[in-house]
Amino acid sequence: MELLANLALGLETAITPWNLFYCFAGVFLGTFIGVIPGVGPLAAISMLFPITFYLDPTSALIMLAGIYYGTTYGGSTASILLNIPGATSAAVTCLDGYPMAQQGRAGVALFMTTIASFVGGSIGIIILSLFSPLIAEYALRFGPADYFALMVLGLVAASTITNASPSKGLSMVVLGMLIATVGIDSQSGAARYTFGSMSLLDGFGIAALAMGLFGVGEILTSVGATRDARIDSSSAKLRNMIPTREDWRRSWKPGLRGSAIGSFFGALPGTGPSIASFMAYAVERRVSSTPERFGNGAIEGVVAPESANNAADQTAFIPTLTLGIPGSATMALMLGALMVHGIQPGPTLISQQPSLFWGLVMSFWIGNLLLVVLNLPLIGLWVRLLLVPYHYLYPAILVFVCIGAYSVRANPADVLMVLGFGVLGYVMRLAALPAAPLLLGFVLGPLVETQFRRAMVLARGDFTAILERPLAGTVLALAALLLAWTLYVAGRDFRRKARDRRSSRSGLG
Amino acid sequence: MKSIIAAAVLAALGTSVANAQDSFPDGPVTIIVPYGTGGSTDTTMRALAIELEKIWNQPIVIVNRPGAGSMIGTTELTQAEPDGKTLLINTAAITTAPALQSDLQFDPVNDITPISLLITSPYVLVGGANVQSTDFSGFMEEAQSRLMFMATAGPGSSGHFMSELVMQAADLPADIVHFGGAGESFTNLMGGHADTYISTTQSVMPYVNDGRAKALAVLAPERFPLLPDIQSSGEVGVAGVELEGWVAIFGPGGMDDALVDRINADLAEAMASERMQEQLEQNYALAGNLSPAEFGEIYVRDLQIWRDLAAERGIGQ
Repeated sequence: MELLANLALGLETAITPWNLFYCFAGVFLGTFIGVIPGVGPLAAISMLFPITFYLDPTSALIMLAGIYYGTTYGGSTASILLNIPGATSAAVTCLDGYPMAQQGRAGVALFMTTIASFVGGSIGIIILSLFSPLIAEYALRFGPADYFALMVLGLVAASTITNASPSKGLSMVVLGMLIATVGIDSQSGAARYTFGSMSLLDGFGIAALAMGLFGVGEILTSVGATRDARIDSSSAKLRNMIPTREDWRRSWKPGLRGSAIGSFFGALPGTGPSIASFMAYAVERRVSSTPERFGNGAIEGVVAPESANNAADQTAFIPTLTLGIPGSATMALMLGALMVHGIQPGPTLISQQPSLFWGLVMSFWIGNLLLVVLNLPLIGLWVRLLLVPYHYLYPAILVFVCIGAYSVRANPADVLMVLGFGVLGYVMRLAALPAAPLLLGFVLGPLVETQFRRAMVLARGDFTAILERPLAGTVLALAALLLAWTLYVAGRDFRRKARDRRSSRSGLG
Repeated sequence: MKSIIAAAVLAALGTSVANAQDSFPDGPVTIIVPYGTGGSTDTTMRALAIELEKIWNQPIVIVNRPGAGSMIGTTELTQAEPDGKTLLINTAAITTAPALQSDLQFDPVNDITPISLLITSPYVLVGGANVQSTDFSGFMEEAQSRLMFMATAGPGSSGHFMSELVMQAADLPADIVHFGGAGESFTNLMGGHADTYISTTQSVMPYVNDGRAKALAVLAPERFPLLPDIQSSGEVGVAGVELEGWVAIFGPGGMDDALVDRINADLAEAMASERMQEQLEQNYALAGNLSPAEFGEIYVRDLQIWRDLAAERGIGQ
């Protein structure tokens, strides 16, 4: 009953004309920022942050949050249509979204990502409104050792997310981890591999890496290759955007699993939407009875990460609002928007500022609904983009990528880094090396390293102390089991293939 | 003849300098915040900018250049013209980070002009969920039976150096563990994974006020008038940790003295505004009222203290 009263209070707050306006402005802006490759939510929210001084804190937060989750809706558009992630958390959507577009199913992919985003967002909101204090309490129990174990499990689970051979996949994960070591060492403060350059002190940016590898790499590959308009205009018709019964049947379970995985990683202050989308994809590929379809336009490979990153976006507000702990730079901005008005987010926020908390929660519902209404009609427009010959399109994309890279931290060197990673991406394509594992290594590598070193300090150098922690021990044991199973399956497949080759050879002879 | 020319030149220079500071600023003033948007230094600066715009009648452009323990933004300041139109707001991290980062591209003494001490407050030692005691004397006893973990916001941060200083001065058995910023440190304090954290009142008091952390001591010879209930390190007999935390404004090296005085006076006026006084009160902090020269002495002294401490305790080696 109390919940109903709270929701009513929230609705009352969220539905005032001005708050509705700020909600709409936020999600509208967010969607477009998401679609444009490179310009991410952090840059957009940073730019709009100063106006929160002049707004009521609830309105300010409603708008900034709208930009935040709106970006995630739009982020998949460029991934699917152009193989360029519009936001980092949408990078994994490229893997199956782009092949779907090449098969003339871009409309279906966009339609399903919008629905998946809505489902993920809704589940995230339900968890946020029902279990916030409980989850916040639980998230605190995760210490450095537990994060380390979780990231190891993540690496093992996701190391085989592409169809490339395991050796290629693993070497790319390691390369990604190595690239991530550039910058200031988290425990000693020493500069690593910076060669005295100020620009490298803070390491490479994730946005620069993702846009370079996927986006610029894609463009470099297409230069010289003549692309004929494979997409005939019929795919831009509404009829071809409606998913088939088969699509729905394949999608509902991945959508739910993705939402669950996303909600979990979102609520942990040490992880976030990017890790959530990778994990959701990895899990789908593992539980699928037809893993070979992944990477070739499997609808599950689009639905799972998109529901996960939207769920994570919503549950990321749990530690932010109930503990006053921002899990990411974007969430730190949300906290800042409250703190400039003297509101200190923390355990007492929900009881002391009920209209703010519940108003925000209800605005999430409204915002997610608005996003569906906004995004579905846009699909037709986006798909038409594919009819534009690519050689007219890519100069514009390059411009946006460069602006985006610069906007992250206003560092001109980042633009050069994007181009450098673009060349790397191109070379990797020539050598048939997968880009997704590299990005994964880059995301997880620093977490594994930093958390492990912290855990070792806290355990005073005794590794067995990590194994004795209930959470970390269990998760590491799971990782070991998964690794053993992966090796067993790989060995079995290898022997089977070898046998097949022998028998086919003897058959020929 | 020569002396007449020299006098004329001097007079000309004198008037042009006087003009420069009279007409200052004749365009937008850029203030570098070497931390992210929305952080405590950033929000202080944004409030201050509203007041400064009223005084200067010129727009204030705030640029955030986070990274490398504030050294990226600080380096950018040193590369600007010393005409007062590019300034930097920074915390005591500007004195601690150089003690750790050996390959800085500027000289912290000659390439930086300390202008104005805006805000001061003592450092506060807070304890997390695993710390049983509620004051410093109890904590010192507890630390004898259980080795403590002192969380910091990162290597080279002011909290890191203060923690090292406390360990040295109080002969405290403890280990340092670095986290990525204040938020992550407090998460680990609340979860009981680490034990203590040191920062200014502005950073720690919100957590203390709603019970997420315990204030063990203000690091000062005597109790802090704004927080009279918290034990001081001095009354427990620990000396040598009395450095204050602060937020200050800096310019590039080689600024004209008259211009520095002018900016110092304008900043004092802005700090006296109702908006800034309210903010100070909220954060349990005091406005600094030092001349540029007095603040410059503190700046150079602190740089040396941290350098010596880093060498003595082998920090960053």
